[in-house]
Amino acid sequence: PAVTKENNCLNAAKACNLNDTCKKYRSAYISPCTTRVSTAEVCNRRKCHKALRQFFDKVPPKYSYSMLFCPCPSAPQSACLERRRQTIVPVCSYEDREKPNCLSLQESCKSNYICRSRLADFFANCQPEPRSLSGCLKENYGDCLLSYSGLIGTAMTPNYLRLSHLSVSPWCDCSSSGNSKEECDRFTSFFTDNRCLKSAIQAFGNGTDVGVWQPVPPV
Amino acid sequence: QVGGGGSGCVLKQVHLNVTDLGLGYRTKEELLFRYCSGPCADSETNYDKILNNLSHKKKLTPDNPARTCCRPIAFDDDLSFLDDDLVYHTLKKHSARKCACI
Repeated sequence: PAVTKENNCLNAAKACNLNDTCKKYRSAYISPCTTRVSTAEVCNRRKCHKALRQFFDKVPPKYSYSMLFCPCPSAPQSACLERRRQTIVPVCSYEDREKPNCLSLQESCKSNYICRSRLADFFANCQPEPRSLSGCLKENYGDCLLSYSGLIGTAMTPNYLRLSHLSVSPWCDCSSSGNSKEECDRFTSFFTDNRCLKSAIQAFGNGTDVGVWQPVPPV
Repeated sequence: QVGGGGSGCVLKQVHLNVTDLGLGYRTKEELLFRYCSGPCADSETNYDKILNNLSHKKKLTPDNPARTCCRPIAFDDDLSFLDDDLVYHTLKKHSARKCACI
């Protein structure tokens, strides 16, 4: 087909607001995530995170995933990509004054039981496997997307990076890692350069059934 | 879809663009707007009948107090949307959930 000007992320937002459940839980997180609480703080991050977790817990994936994993053309700074980045209200839920080291962020995640279990799920369900056709060790895109979206609203909240159209990362980097530079790089690349996760997101965008991944039978 | 109160007063809905609301937002997002509409003659009280009679006899001029009318008695959940400048907005009490003659 010819070049379409369809904005899939906009279409997902429209569909959400026409569904009573999605509309309700969407505004239930956007409100706390956009309400300034003092001159120093743009929002109450704890409330924002809690409402984001509720959104992904209560809203059918048909609506929530369509907003979080909406497929966009890869051209940088498209309206579609910008809208997708804004889904989680990053100014409140994601960005912070300082970028912690990823390994110290991982440590603080481990001190919270929700974050610890959700991060473990993510590592288990989105484990890449180069020899597998799906790109994943556990060939189940649905489980990978579920555990990725489960991280939203924890200290490990990930978001799409500005410069690349499918790379994601929590708000941290590997500067000042000292002797743990390699371990830190391994941790970040599980987010930024994970073929299993990228394939799962793309399969959702293409409309491939994410619940039942069926390997193509040998020819 | 029928709200409480008078039999003719019901909840209706229309699918609109947020810009149709005329509140000054620039966005391409959409919503279902729900409103109350219908006659309330059935549920008039003596108070309303007296008002009718008095205004007919011009005993209340220059006043013309409002009679029973079909209005929301509960509002729909808030609505959030992202505008063209990537700013979020949340509308409260913008759409009806339940109607009655009041």
